[in-house]
Formats: sequence, structure tokens, C-alpha cells
Amino acid sequence: MKELATIRFIGIRMSRDFITMILLLGVPIILITVFSIILGEVEGLSGTPIRDETVVLLVLGFQLFGGAITMNYVHQDLFAERKNRLLSLPMNTTLYGFSIMLAGIIYSILLGIILITYTTMVFDVNWGNFIWALLVITLMSSLSSIVCLVFTFSVKNFKIAERLSEVYGVGMILLAGLFFPMPDNALINMFNDYVNPLMLAYSSIDQVRSGGLSDGWLYAALLSVLILIAFGLLLLTGRRRMP
Amino acid sequence: MTIFRFALKRILRDKTNVLFLTLFPIAAIFLPTAEDGWPLLPLGYQYFGILLLFVSIRLTSIMIEDRQKGVVKRLAAAPVSHFNYLWQNLLAFSVIMIIQIIIIISGGYAYGHELYEPWNLTILYLVFMFTAISISLAWNSLYRSKESSFLIFMAVIVLMALLGGILFPVEMMPVVFERIAVIFPTYWLSEGIEWIVFGEDRGDFLFINGVLLLYALFFLIIGSIRRIS
Repeated sequence: MKELATIRFIGIRMSRDFITMILLLGVPIILITVFSIILGEVEGLSGTPIRDETVVLLVLGFQLFGGAITMNYVHQDLFAERKNRLLSLPMNTTLYGFSIMLAGIIYSILLGIILITYTTMVFDVNWGNFIWALLVITLMSSLSSIVCLVFTFSVKNFKIAERLSEVYGVGMILLAGLFFPMPDNALINMFNDYVNPLMLAYSSIDQVRSGGLSDGWLYAALLSVLILIAFGLLLLTGRRRMP
Repeated sequence: MTIFRFALKRILRDKTNVLFLTLFPIAAIFLPTAEDGWPLLPLGYQYFGILLLFVSIRLTSIMIEDRQKGVVKRLAAAPVSHFNYLWQNLLAFSVIMIIQIIIIISGGYAYGHELYEPWNLTILYLVFMFTAISISLAWNSLYRSKESSFLIFMAVIVLMALLGGILFPVEMMPVVFERIAVIFPTYWLSEGIEWIVFGEDRGDFLFINGVLLLYALFFLIIGSIRRIS
């Protein structure tokens, strides 16, 4: 299992990547701070403070971009600069790819935990059950990493894959109606109810914090189904492209 | 005008660029008008300032690329002055963005959006466009690689939009933020939009544009210093 031992070094590399850190940790912290100060204690229609809604959505939304780290490392190590060096090592590149994915997922979860702690401690945001929130964050970051890897493997040009990953992140946020309300279209509503990972994750956390554990499970299960589908696609596309 | 022509060619050769430059303003035309009275203009027009910032950082990235690849060094040895290089590039960027502004204004007019005063809106966007280009020029001069410059600027754009009152009315924010907002060019853009909807006093509009132009001049001076190494 020497491939798994590389996780430590991937982790060290990730912790030195300050730009990613600024984008995935600094920006959300600033955004959350500004939003929380602006929104104050205003209560929404359903009785939960708007702040709880927005902050949870923001933290989950940033998880959609967590896959970009995995994607970049896989590209650098297995397709670009370090490709030949890694191929000459006596280890399984596929497993190495998986360990990068694992490291990326863990990194993204860690950022999520920092954000959850920050929002709970400073702004007293209600996340419901912490363990449940952690589970949902784990699901989200796994999904994002896997989806981004599918993009990396399915498109020849990495630049396009990067753009696709942004389309995935921004598109889901857009469809969830965070920028502006979406038109009341049956197709969009259905997509938000059953497919959009951001809304699934949010509904899951929202249900659990208002006491509907079984519905929470349902949404988490839907999210897991998405992960399984994406993983299947990852295996299919990865088999063709892996060096 | 060789550099100008070449800059245009370089930008338009990139397919993603072409897509990015045409699709987004067209999509912005079709965004709906907000129902609860704010933003005052249709959403696409309210957020167009953000788009202008994005486009300008993307366009000016070819100058950072020149520095990365050593083109600036070769230019220094060639019989072309830095001033020529600068203004021809900037002209190319402006031409592209002016076309975008024309697309969005005329498109909105044809689509039937309530734009209040389309001509003044065009002027406001034009002035803000100059500010956006010079801000990204100055921003780029701080970086060595275009990727990191672009990524961090993305975060800065979000912050400027948020604190400058494009995403939220400034009045909603706490007093401290309301005061800080004045330093962001985006604040002046949203003030300008407000003038276009409600404004009567011509002087206010001139003042807003003057502030934006001052910002443009300031950042242009910072950004235009030649950095060879």
C-alpha cells in the first residue's frame, strides 16, 4: 500500500498551495462574514433565520469547487509535468490517482470543518447535528472530486475540463437560485428537488436540523446515488485515459 | 497599428475567449427584472459591471503572458516604444468591450427592457469599462503568472461587487461598511445606475463618471509602468 503513503506528501503539497487556500478558505470566510453581518437576525418565511440558510448554502456551495484541487493534482502528476517520473516509479498509477482523490476529498472536508466551526462559533449558525453536517460535507466533497475527475478524463484539453468544473460549480449555484430566483419551471424544480447536489445537501441538513431525520436520510441517499453514478462514469472514462 | 491588430487576433483566436465574450453579454440581456424593486435595472444590467471586470482581467492577461514569455524583453529591443505597445493593446481591449456594451444596450432596447436612459447607461458602462481595464492592468502588474492573477482577482471581484453595492443595496449594510463602500469603483457604478433610474441633477452624473475616470487614471499610471524582468 505504498501508494496510500503518498497521501501525506500530497497533503503537504496541498497545504503549501496558498492560492487555493485563499480561494477555498479565505474567500468563503470573508463572504460569510459580510453576509452574516448584513443579514443579521432577520427571520425568513419558514421561521429559520435567513442567515442560517444563506451561510449553510454558501459553505456547501464552496464544496462544489473543492474538486478543482484533485483535478489539478491529477493533471499535473499523471498527464503533464510529472507524468514520466511517476510512470517510472514502481507503483500503480491508478491507485496513486485514487490516493490523490482521497487526499483532495480529505482536504476539502477539512476546509468544510473549519468553515462550519467558524460559522458556529462566531455567528451562532444552526447546523443541526454536527456529525450529520460532516457526513453531508463528506458526500459533497467526494461528489465534487469525482465529477471533476470525470471531466479531466473525458476531455482531451485540460483547460476545457477546468472550465467544465467551473460550469458545474457555478451552474449548480445558479440553478439553486442563489444569485437570483429561478423561473418557476417544472424541469428546473424537478432538477433542484432530485438532482442538484447543492439543494440535496442543503435539504438534508435542513431536514435534520428541523427534526425530520428520515427525510434527511432520503436526501443523503439521493446524493449517494449521484456519487455512485459519477463513480461509475469515473471508472469508465478513467480506464481509457489513465496512463 | 500592427500591435493593435495582433492583439485582436490573439484574443479572438482563442475559442473559449470568443465564447466568453459573446455568450455572456447575450445571456445577460435575457435575465429577468427583479420583482421586489431592487436591483432597479434588469438583473443582467445590474451585474454587467461584474462581467466587465471579468472580461477585462481575461483580456489583459495577454500582457502578463507577454511578460511571462519574454515578449516584453524582445519588444524593448525592437524599435517600438513601450507607450505604443501599451496603448495599442489597451485600444484592442477597449474595442472588444465597446462592442459588448453596444450588444447589451441595443439588445436590451430591442428586447424591450426598461432601461430609462440608454445613452447615459452606455456612457456609464463605457467609463466603467475604462476603470475595469486599468484596474486589471494594475492588478496584473503585481503578478508573475496569469493564473494566480486571474484566480485571486476573481475573489476580489466578488468582494468588490458585494461591498460596492452591486449584489446588495449599500443601505442594507452596517454603517461601517456603508462608509467603506465609497472606496470601491463598483460603488460608483451602482450609484450611476441609481442616477440613471431616479436622477435629475446632471452634475451628479458627471461627478460619478469623474470619480470613475479618476480611478481609471490612477490605476492606469500604476499599471503602465514597464516591468521587463
